[in-house]
Amino acid sequence: MSAAPLPIALAEVLARGDVWCGDTLASLPEATIPSGHAELDAELPGGGWPRGNLTEILVDRSGLGELSLLLPALAQLSAGGGWLALVAPPWLPHAPAWAAAGVVPERLVVVRAGRHVAWSLEQLLASGGFAGVLAWLEAGLDARALRRLQVAAEKRPVFACLWRSTATAGSPSPAPLRIALAAGEGGLNLRILKRRGRPAARPLILSIPRPGRANRVVAGPALSPVAARSAALAALA
Amino acid sequence: MWACDRAAAAAGVAVGHKLSTALGLQPGLAVFEREAALERRTLENLACWAGRFTPTVSLAPPAGLLLEIGGCLRLFGGAPAIVDAVLAGCAEQAYSVAWAAAPTPLGARWLAQAGNGALHPTPMAMQAALAGLPCTVPDWPAEVPARLAAFGLHRIGDLAQVPAAGLRRRLGNGPVDDLLRARGELPDPQKPFAFPEKFAGDLELPARVEHAEALAFAGQRLLAALSGWLHARQLLARACTLHLKHDDGTHSTLPLRPAEASADEGRFLRLLREHLGRLQLAAPVAALRLAADEVVARPGASVHLFDQPPAGEGAPACLERLRARLGESAVRTLAPHADYRPECATRESEIAVDFASAGPSTAAFTPPRPLWLLPEPQALAERSDGPHWRGPLQLLTRGERLESGWWDAGEDAAAGDMQREYFVARNSQGQWAWIFRDAQGWFLHGLFA
Repeated sequence: MSAAPLPIALAEVLARGDVWCGDTLASLPEATIPSGHAELDAELPGGGWPRGNLTEILVDRSGLGELSLLLPALAQLSAGGGWLALVAPPWLPHAPAWAAAGVVPERLVVVRAGRHVAWSLEQLLASGGFAGVLAWLEAGLDARALRRLQVAAEKRPVFACLWRSTATAGSPSPAPLRIALAAGEGGLNLRILKRRGRPAARPLILSIPRPGRANRVVAGPALSPVAARSAALAALA
Repeated sequence: MWACDRAAAAAGVAVGHKLSTALGLQPGLAVFEREAALERRTLENLACWAGRFTPTVSLAPPAGLLLEIGGCLRLFGGAPAIVDAVLAGCAEQAYSVAWAAAPTPLGARWLAQAGNGALHPTPMAMQAALAGLPCTVPDWPAEVPARLAAFGLHRIGDLAQVPAAGLRRRLGNGPVDDLLRARGELPDPQKPFAFPEKFAGDLELPARVEHAEALAFAGQRLLAALSGWLHARQLLARACTLHLKHDDGTHSTLPLRPAEASADEGRFLRLLREHLGRLQLAAPVAALRLAADEVVARPGASVHLFDQPPAGEGAPACLERLRARLGESAVRTLAPHADYRPECATRESEIAVDFASAGPSTAAFTPPRPLWLLPEPQALAERSDGPHWRGPLQLLTRGERLESGWWDAGEDAAAGDMQREYFVARNSQGQWAWIFRDAQGWFLHGLFA
């Protein structure tokens, strides 16, 4: 007579991170990075950006505030002494802007990989010495290559973010978190396509700090004398 | 007289003379007796040393070694690389060699005996080289070249043109079979040299040695043989001993024990030199013997089949590897530079693990700067209501005028004099851009990502 297997506590299974109850979000075993936006944290499994898993962000045009969405998390990683890497960025990073956002420029590595984007990304993920890796993959990367990247990132405390175009939303991908961004009224329109948990019901509208009128310091040139006077009065008070 | 050096040859002494003839030609000649056993032992030591190149070594006495390098070509990266390494090793141990490389062992041996000194990769090249050799080169009995000369055949190439049946009747089977073996038409198996189970190399010193440092050279030959033997048997030596035999019959030993088991000849040699520097010789040394006492199998690490990256090595090692493949300039870090011109405000620098990071910027007012800069400002189309970039652009800030860089004007590869007015703009698709207007018109310079 064979003995029945010992029952494992359900809580242990749910704590693994890839099993979750149907109406909740998964809890991730590794610590997550708070994204800086409370309503986004509430929708992400584990309460923040996941470590040790691929995160895909799908955008079809740039300049919407997609990178500013990640800046609070990247600044926190860099201030804690971690290395960040940008693999095959589409344009040149402007160091004063990154420094003003809180990222230490000496620990931000720019890798111009040419044809070897997937290989470089795999090396960076597997090395375990990088706290955050952002990669702009070339089009036409199939799910097998992404699976290799996911395997390389597993069990390491690295925040891996892949930027792809919205056209790939329909193709399968092994990344546990997939987010599509678009421009919206009053902020960034964020749709979570795939996450470890119940499917997202509705898109989020997040307000990202944008340059211009919303971002003014007291002692700067004002757009109108009235606003400058009131800001000066507010500073005195 | 078996061999003489250049000074003796200049005096007229040649190989084959009787001793009395040689002494008559050069009275002050230093004569040494030939010891066949010593020669054989030296040849065996050399065969052990050659074990680092190939496991198939054959002895061709009295003074020949056959190394089969066909299987090792890929490991060393080609035959010329192996030849260079062999010649360099022989020069280090102060042996003078005559060498040749050919597809068959007998062909290579004949070419080396003729002093050919070249690499013949194909059978055609080898046969062309063999055709030019005189008939005295192969080790045939003395009457064979004499008979061939009587026939008018002086070179081996001439022999190939004569019908073989006739040669066999006149010379016997031996020379004709040798010719066929040299050309590769008859199989020619060689007896491989069996690397001894336990290494014990002997070296008799040609003269009594009084100072310990002078033993280093003789020890180097023995260590070379030991290293080759370890290589051929895939072992590492943890301890070995050098036995010194003095001329009054006493023995002394010198243990060599490196910090960890290794097969590296240089390491043992350095250890030997250090020990010899401190050693006081009780009596002159006549002979040396090197024995490997403790050997362990060499642990091998298998490489992954699918080129997986090494895990958990840290950032600097990974960046080294990326630089090795992508190039030095492809992997850089950023460094902000104090310049008003946006193109010059970012410098790329080498990766430094230790750096003094500047504290957070204490500027009271920082104008908005985009995260991305285009490599070259992109010209924008202008319509009636202003610049257009994928839709009409709406300017959101007042102009920020930057005029700088007059000192660079006219220099190539410098940004030059710049007079621009920068605006933050947004288009109908929701993209935030950093555009400027200068004397040439509207340009797009950056994106607020």
